[in-house]
Amino acid sequence: MAGRDRVVGALIAAIGLAGLAVSVYLTFVHYSAAPLVCSTSGAINCERVLTSGFAVIGGSTLPTSAAGIIWFIVSAALAVAQLAGRASPLLVRAQLAWSAVGLATVVGLVFIEIVMLGAVCLWCTVAHTLVVITFLLVITVGQPAAEDG
Amino acid sequence: MARKRKGAQSPPKTPQKARPQEAHAKLKRPLRKPVPRTPAWVPALATVGAIALLVVVFLAIRYFNTPPAPPPADTTQTAQVLSTITSLPDSEFQQVGAGSSTNRITPVTGTALTGPGGKPLVFYYGAEYCPYCAAERWALIIALSRFGGFSGLTTTTSSSSDVYANTPTFTFHGATYSSQYIEFQAVETTDRNQKALETPTAAQRALVSRYDTGGSIPFVDFGNRYAFNGATYLPDSLQGLTWEQIATDLQNPISPQAQGILGSANLITAAICKLTADQPAAGCSGAAIKSIEAHL
Repeated sequence: MAGRDRVVGALIAAIGLAGLAVSVYLTFVHYSAAPLVCSTSGAINCERVLTSGFAVIGGSTLPTSAAGIIWFIVSAALAVAQLAGRASPLLVRAQLAWSAVGLATVVGLVFIEIVMLGAVCLWCTVAHTLVVITFLLVITVGQPAAEDG
Repeated sequence: MARKRKGAQSPPKTPQKARPQEAHAKLKRPLRKPVPRTPAWVPALATVGAIALLVVVFLAIRYFNTPPAPPPADTTQTAQVLSTITSLPDSEFQQVGAGSSTNRITPVTGTALTGPGGKPLVFYYGAEYCPYCAAERWALIIALSRFGGFSGLTTTTSSSSDVYANTPTFTFHGATYSSQYIEFQAVETTDRNQKALETPTAAQRALVSRYDTGGSIPFVDFGNRYAFNGATYLPDSLQGLTWEQIATDLQNPISPQAQGILGSANLITAAICKLTADQPAAGCSGAAIKSIEAHL
């Protein structure tokens, strides 16, 4: 594995851990009903977003942030697997596909926030940004270098 | 393998055969024009551009779907609307019950809160820009009017740049309330453009610090016996309507507006009835109020 790829892999793993922390916090707040550290007025309004019907998966009681936990764990695991020397075209494609799924989900969630709710959740935006950065890393640096190797 | 066998049989021929192939390959290489590879930053830049474009499109969709502020109601219209919503028949309140409201009222402990006149004090803390306060004021005005009367209420709308933009409502700023059962104090901290409007007293600030730990508005304290923050129903049912339309809708008990506003008004009425020992009987003796009181 090239040195550049190792750096990218480590970055993706670190982003996965950061995103995992945000998702765990949002899930904890959902189940504990603890007050969220976030603005409750204006366009930045976590309460408005996280108490809406879109904050749970398919009408269940499972918060959307739980899906974030799974996504970031898998993303970090794929990066760690490559760092551990198991780089293969299949693994690279899996990471590309996984980050594309994440990006598509983020676009959908941003649509809900802006168009349907008219409010943006700051914590969610942090998680969304981490997903987008992961996708950008995978398509810019990780993918071509891994294919070359 | 076949090559080796051939080479073993006629060693001198092998190098002669290989040389033309290598030479041919060397000749061929320069003739192939290398295909320029897309720089790695291009797809990334395209992705970022596409995301930025999508966000702009989303904002545009939101902008064109946000209802404009209703034309302001004049004094006569305001008086007419207030008269309509404060003289709804008791049978309608009984029919609605808690309606679609969410009971956010919780018991609190502390020294009984009374006003300057010694009567139980209902304290409201909010702001004119806040859409949840806008929604809650309808219910508060209707509920409080069952114990007394307001004067000086004027119409306004919530912020045009917040969620539930331009929700039609009234403001407590400049209004007075009188009742033989309770006292009412209201603080509207900012106007609809979030410019400072009223400053709470030290005592009022202490109430907010103690009972509104989440910092959400509106915050309502019922004599330090009950309190709630946030709206007891969502303002979406008021979107795009005028004050007159809402007043008309409130006369229909199954309308979303009546279910939200009158349901919330019943919750607030029940909390106040707890403070006044169910006085006056006309407002507190209904089965719907008794039922809510039992769950407070």
